[in-house]
Amino acid sequence: MGEFLGMFQGLATGFDIAFTLTNLTFALLGAVLGTMVGILPGLGPSATISLLLPLSFKIGSPVTSIIMMAGIFYGAMYGGSTTSILVNIPGEAASVVTCLDGYQMAKKGRAGPALGIAAIGSFIAGTIGVLGLTFVAPPLAEFALKFGPPEYFSLTLFGLLMATLLGGGSILKGLIMVVMGLLLGSVGLDPISGAIRFTWGLHMLQEGIDFVTLAMGMFGVGEIFYNLEKVLKTELVTRKITHLWPTLKDWADSKWAVIRGSFIGFFIGILPGGGAVISSLVSYAVEKKVSKTPEEFGKGAIQGVAGPESANNAAASASFIPLLTLGIPGNPAIAMIFAALLIQGVQPGPFLITEKPEIFWGVVASMYIGNVMLLILNLPMVGLWVQLLRVPYSILAPIVVLFCCVGVYSIRNTVFDIYVMGIFGVIGYILRKVNLEPGPMILAFVLGPILERAIRQALLISAGSPLIFFTRPISGALMGLLIFFIVLQVLFSIRQKKKKMNP
Amino acid sequence: MGKASRPGPGFLPFGLALILIALSIALLAKSWKAEKESVPFWPERGWVRPLLGVGIFLLYAVLLPSLGFILTTFCFLICWMWGIERIRWATILPISIGVTAVLYLIFSYFLEVPLPGGFLS
Repeated sequence: MGEFLGMFQGLATGFDIAFTLTNLTFALLGAVLGTMVGILPGLGPSATISLLLPLSFKIGSPVTSIIMMAGIFYGAMYGGSTTSILVNIPGEAASVVTCLDGYQMAKKGRAGPALGIAAIGSFIAGTIGVLGLTFVAPPLAEFALKFGPPEYFSLTLFGLLMATLLGGGSILKGLIMVVMGLLLGSVGLDPISGAIRFTWGLHMLQEGIDFVTLAMGMFGVGEIFYNLEKVLKTELVTRKITHLWPTLKDWADSKWAVIRGSFIGFFIGILPGGGAVISSLVSYAVEKKVSKTPEEFGKGAIQGVAGPESANNAAASASFIPLLTLGIPGNPAIAMIFAALLIQGVQPGPFLITEKPEIFWGVVASMYIGNVMLLILNLPMVGLWVQLLRVPYSILAPIVVLFCCVGVYSIRNTVFDIYVMGIFGVIGYILRKVNLEPGPMILAFVLGPILERAIRQALLISAGSPLIFFTRPISGALMGLLIFFIVLQVLFSIRQKKKKMNP
Repeated sequence: MGKASRPGPGFLPFGLALILIALSIALLAKSWKAEKESVPFWPERGWVRPLLGVGIFLLYAVLLPSLGFILTTFCFLICWMWGIERIRWATILPISIGVTAVLYLIFSYFLEVPLPGGFLS
């Protein structure tokens, strides 16, 4: 009982913090920016948050800047569907499956209900996600107090491998990206002994590779170079959007899809390595499976919009749980927020809720408010946002590059960092060309130091025996789960191969 | 590198390097076995636009300290929008002026970033 009381007290202080004028303004700014980058194809939340990292000091206190960045992350989940439905291009990676049925609905003149159910579903799921965050995070953080180095090692390993298993695409290539990210993360001073590693005598590299420069290069500049190859055209299927409010039948058809999507999203989002993108794919598959009319999918089934759009929002909120309770970011966008916290001198982890309650509860409370703001921004005002799709990518691209350049310059006021970012941009471009996703690499880069400290301290404790990762109950359970997933994956791919051989 | 009971600074990088070698061999073997159909790395003349982009980016970094923020940014926008995208001049000019002004206002005025002034200052 006392625990519940503590949560409500925490939430009440959180609302006190979130309802100050500054924090409300930045929550709104985050929601607006998030919707914007969600709508604009070729610009995602990870790139946008990385753009803001060098400025996070100037935005204000840690809680204010995290409120804004969180708003960008879950706001992008709302905006992404608009482009998928109206243009058939995902505005943002987690809205890829929304194209399938959303665009078909728009073609049949049902753009309004599609946009409407996406916004309402997002709101319901987002709120369920934040409710989950409110009640799951505090006990989880208390549980995590028991974690020692072996547990942290197993957990980060679990997260990294799950990110490659769930990431879609080639697992082998994903693993290569993870290892490269870990290696990049080991440049600079060794966290335990202070030895200098891989700096090639450049003292600019002693502090390690700067996360912001790396992220902006890989996600911002790299993405733009890559998109230059093809000409992105945005053609709206319809200009007139009417009947946003779904009819009773639409609602009856999609209400369970929204609820299922919310829970799928929440449980996938909470997993280290899970995230919004994968949860929307799973939700779509589930909706198609439980539907009585699976043949309607791909031809404009409203469940195919309602489910995934709900799932990605719930996942976005839920992925704050591993970050704020364990200090382990589960996906690239959350890794950016992790970096923002570190820049502000806040160490996320099991102590955050008790030692810095104003940050935890302030951000959580702001997410309830942010979801209401986003519902208003995306339901009655969606027509306004559609105008944004008329800004051609050819004008947007150079502006984004400029933002990256000035942003990275402002960290240390040196042009050296612009060159470094350019190098990462070219690397990011080439990686995309050979189908290597930079996402797992960025995640591994952030988790690298945590993983290294954990494995070395654990081996010190056990005097060199790796059995320590299996004999301690929590760590052992995580390792067991990990092995289970790997075996499952291997069995699955063997079955796929057999299917290919004799269909 | 140290011993397993006292892992040193080279412990993790060495282990990672071994894993990377193993993974690379696996990937090589896999692509060796796969059917070889040659897909051109770039579609016809697909490399021109990205190369132009990288070039203009590089030029921006080179010129920024000497020409200053305002002039370099203005030129960058014109080079990009005309050199790569061939947008009409009637569109390019107002956008270049407007974007340069807005960026200057945001970064120099609101965020107080000491932007390079170049020879103008």
